Amino acid sequence: MMPLTISNVGETSYIRKIIGKDDVRQHLAELGFVVGEPVTVVSKVSGNMILNVKGTRIALGQSMTNRIMI
Amino acid sequence: MRLTIALAGNPNSGKSTMFNDLTGSNQYVGNWPGVTVEKKEGKLKGMPGVVIQDLPGIYSLSPYTLEEVVSRNYLINEKPGAIINIVDGSNLERNLYLTTQLMEIGIPMVIALNMIDVVRKNGDTINVKKLSEALGCDIVETSALKGEGSVQVAQRAGELAKIGYQGERAHVFGGTVEHSIAHIEDLIRDKVEERYLRWYSIKLFERDEKVMEQLKLSPDILKNIENITADCEKEMDDDAESIVTNERYAYISRLMQSCLIKKPRKGNMTVSDRIDRVVTNRFLALPIFVAVMFVMYYIAVTTIGAIVTDFTNDTLFGAWIMEPLAAWLEGAGTAGWLSSLVVDGIIGGVGAVLGFVPQMLILFLMLAILEDVGYMARVAFIMDRIFRRFGLSGKSFIPMLIGSGCSVPGIMASRTIENERDRRMTVMTTSFIPCGAKMPIVALIAGAIFGNAWWVAPSCYFIGVAAVIVSGVILKKTRMFAGEPAPFVMELPTYHAPAASNVLRSMWERGWSFIRRAGTIILLASMGIWFFSSFGIIDGAFVMADMEESMLAAAGNFMAPLFAPLGFGNWRATVATVMGLVAKEEIVGVLGVLARVSGDALELVEEGAFAGLAGIAGMFTTASAFAYLLFNLLCAPCFAAIGAMRREMNSGKWTWFAVGYLCVFAYAVAMIYYQLASLFTTGAFTVATTVAVILLFALIYLLFRKPADYASAGIKQKQLRAGV
Repeated sequence: MMPLTISNVGETSYIRKIIGKDDVRQHLAELGFVVGEPVTVVSKVSGNMILNVKGTRIALGQSMTNRIMI
Repeated sequence: MRLTIALAGNPNSGKSTMFNDLTGSNQYVGNWPGVTVEKKEGKLKGMPGVVIQDLPGIYSLSPYTLEEVVSRNYLINEKPGAIINIVDGSNLERNLYLTTQLMEIGIPMVIALNMIDVVRKNGDTINVKKLSEALGCDIVETSALKGEGSVQVAQRAGELAKIGYQGERAHVFGGTVEHSIAHIEDLIRDKVEERYLRWYSIKLFERDEKVMEQLKLSPDILKNIENITADCEKEMDDDAESIVTNERYAYISRLMQSCLIKKPRKGNMTVSDRIDRVVTNRFLALPIFVAVMFVMYYIAVTTIGAIVTDFTNDTLFGAWIMEPLAAWLEGAGTAGWLSSLVVDGIIGGVGAVLGFVPQMLILFLMLAILEDVGYMARVAFIMDRIFRRFGLSGKSFIPMLIGSGCSVPGIMASRTIENERDRRMTVMTTSFIPCGAKMPIVALIAGAIFGNAWWVAPSCYFIGVAAVIVSGVILKKTRMFAGEPAPFVMELPTYHAPAASNVLRSMWERGWSFIRRAGTIILLASMGIWFFSSFGIIDGAFVMADMEESMLAAAGNFMAPLFAPLGFGNWRATVATVMGLVAKEEIVGVLGVLARVSGDALELVEEGAFAGLAGIAGMFTTASAFAYLLFNLLCAPCFAAIGAMRREMNSGKWTWFAVGYLCVFAYAVAMIYYQLASLFTTGAFTVATTVAVILLFALIYLLFRKPADYASAGIKQKQLRAGV
């Protein structure tokens, strides 16, 4: 497993685990970041990412992408 | 009977468009009690007695964000007659997540399956009948953007409200969870209203702290519930919240399989994805952004903006209103003081501010277009990495961008920042960025004292940005602002062509709140300043006097020593600074009057006729002139901007703190500059020099000190949020 942060633009991977405190995990889950879900990196600007998950583009800061393990 | 219908849905689901469509101009905008989350309600067009309550755009009803808490408190405590749940049909799976939660509250609900035109265009098919049966909920196909279906949705919601609670809807969860929930329902059946029973039971299963607090259940029942939850968790090998979330998604994905036929797409890249590849590209993002901004400012400030501003100031207020009015007042034999009050005080003051309205409207229009298209959300994303280093979030950038035109809309734009701390910090620092009205001072000092040196104007922007950064770093290390900026999370809407109605409405809403303020606070301030500058006590008698003998001059003389360490301890410069509170460009005009410059100093500056401004130049040395510039750039903004700060911070105390901080910061920076500049040029080392050096070290210390451990402050923050 590795953090989503290191994957590259255009890559699609499946979420295997989400780490962090309960409320952060829950918040990510509500945005569609749940285990088993495919997530595609649309763009990446020094650690911040635009991700495509469940048909929507969500921009996440690095502190959040570090918690999503693929 | 008054009937309230709540409008709930995800961000970017077309909710505000539908709200505007349903209510037209019958809207009331305010804040939810105690928080700065915007609250909008409006009367339903064509159906008297029905009020539409717009809820914030949310993804769920969990207690983690302010918007969610506000929404669920409203639904549970205020008990609206019906809910219209707006669902973006082109993104069904995500949007139904909130729907499954809204369904659990026993309030009659109708689903507006919105953006149905996009669904059709994409070639997808939604089996509405099947979906409606599965959810146990009426569905109306709508396209808010095209005004399709909104009326039917509202009518249906009205009908459902009359019928009332119709029993439980579809069960979303699997057997094990439903079993646990049924047990919890039995335990609290007599404690809550029947229609809220399921919602409360699920929340208790999730160990929702707020619900536990609210229901005040006996320790016995709580212990029973805990056992039920723990058993289920053990069986499913996960925590209760995750179980619920996962089962919701599982339910929705089953629904998708039976109700949605997606047309296969070529590749998996949408148009928006492809635009984002370019616009947020690592290398291209900043150049593209700079180009967009350049075009925007060029239009808003230099070309069209300058034309309309000049027209409003010189022609509309100058030639068409002030001159005829003055003549008329004179002709009607009005007392001199009254005509002076009306012409110079009220129209001069208010007019100076209203003169900015056309330019602002153009800037607002272009910003609204950029927002509606979806580009602004990308700007926040691009700038986030840079701003984060100084304790601000990417969302703070947009207010500063707007602030370079005028601080008032800039401060108002901070509203998009959800995190209260981040928003306060942005409100406090936005006015450091030199606004359009500060440019005449810059031009005056550059032209009359520095011989039109090219570096003066750019250095002002640089100083503004530096002040933002320095303040960001310093404030972040205080207890009030401690903690990382909230993690950057933002949904990026699909790019789409701007809708004229949305863009114009947004432009007008922002413009109007400014105009209205010009009619109140600035009106009063203008009258006040006119009074103090027109009357004075001469030979013991209270009479109308020249400005030099006025009460304002007396006050200026009294206050002037305060500015002596900054190099401009004379009453003229002091009075001009105070006048700057009404509108910053007043500073130049007032300096001109007080220095007995022939003609209007503001016009002389605009024409570049600096020879005629020698009188002003004579008041300053190079060092004191730049210190004066520094102080006026950084100190408290004009009344209009302070009013905006008050509104956005929603607290008088915080506004005073912000204004105090700005003044102290400006004073310190100007003093450090002036004293050190004097030391290097004259070599004179005085007490003030010592103070300046101490201030400099204090500033450096504040910048580089290690932030203390505010773990406890963090907890307090959380409690504050939870207490809403």
